[in-house]
Amino acid sequence: MKYLANPLFGVFLSLAVFLFGQWLFKKSNGFFLFQPLFVSMVLGITILIVIAKFLNTTTAQIYTQVYKPGGDIIFWFITPATIAFAVPLYKRNDIVKKNWLVIILGLVFGTFISMVLITLVSKVVGLDNIGIKSMLSQSATTAVAMPLTASIGGNASVTAMACIINAVVIYALGKQLVDWFKLNSDPLGAGLGLGASGHTIGSAFALQLGSIQGAMAAVAVVATALVDNLLVPVFSHLIGL
Amino acid sequence: MQKKETQKEKSAPLLVQMFIYAAILFVSQILSDLIPKSFPVPTPVIGLVLLYLLLTTHIVKVEWVDSFGSALISLIGFMFVPSGISLAANLKIMEQQGVQLIIVIIAATVILLVVTAYTTRFFSFLVNKIAKTQLHLNDHKKVGGAK
Repeated sequence: MKYLANPLFGVFLSLAVFLFGQWLFKKSNGFFLFQPLFVSMVLGITILIVIAKFLNTTTAQIYTQVYKPGGDIIFWFITPATIAFAVPLYKRNDIVKKNWLVIILGLVFGTFISMVLITLVSKVVGLDNIGIKSMLSQSATTAVAMPLTASIGGNASVTAMACIINAVVIYALGKQLVDWFKLNSDPLGAGLGLGASGHTIGSAFALQLGSIQGAMAAVAVVATALVDNLLVPVFSHLIGL
Repeated sequence: MQKKETQKEKSAPLLVQMFIYAAILFVSQILSDLIPKSFPVPTPVIGLVLLYLLLTTHIVKVEWVDSFGSALISLIGFMFVPSGISLAANLKIMEQQGVQLIIVIIAATVILLVVTAYTTRFFSFLVNKIAKTQLHLNDHKKVGGAK
């Protein structure tokens, strides 16, 4: 434990599992379940569970004491990386200026309709009220979604989990989803959708599809933060939770 | 070949680029703290808007932030590894309602992607149509006026 509780362990483990994930993804010729982020998540958690069993403590404790110090160092870089999306956004400023009304309408109504559908799915699956409330704000980035969930009486750590799984799903299935629903024929919508569903990861993926998609995803990350702040409290009041 | 070299010359040194990002981060952090807690706007979102505004007003040139930004964006998959592994702290919730939550979250991801994309497509179509009919009406008026 003493030797493991060094930030370097978390950094080392993250790099090791991610590189392994990349190798596996390449070896399997891009099998979607072997996406590097998904593989490294499952493998990393498994390793922490094994260490916990070995040292006779809980996994949560091993996570906070052994992995988190190093993990936080890597996690910190998400902030400047998100800011960097201003560059692809600026490069397609022409698209933003031309379509600002469509962007706002699409995001506001898209988010609202999504919330209705998410509530329906939650009810069908049999989630309790706290669970449903924790699902509403996941189109915003984690830092917006968590306090929002808390303010309407949901479980913020469930929302954080949702935001992470959103990103993992988009990272793993983004290509298939875009193909299945033929989203790329409308770069505006594809970009906004990827930004709203996959947040920063969705934006990185959208950028691979094209400069318009990338710029739109960056717009979506910013705008959903504001839209959710306004919509989520109203919506949760409307459905009477 | 020559074009590539001139492009390289234009791009600001790495430390200068890092300095700009650090400065924007610092200012956005302060702004984020100043915004009331009931309407949370996180540091990265403020930073994105701030850098975008600085670029549009030409206070910051693209070459000053471009290559470092692209490098950061290309590493984003890796940066999310700690977030993924952080689920290890929530294994208890997963034991209780895990299956339902995972189903809803995966469904929600697909819903958000597809619904937002198609809603945008619909409004795109609508706005274009309205613009066209207005153009059409204007044409009519002009023709009418000529008579």
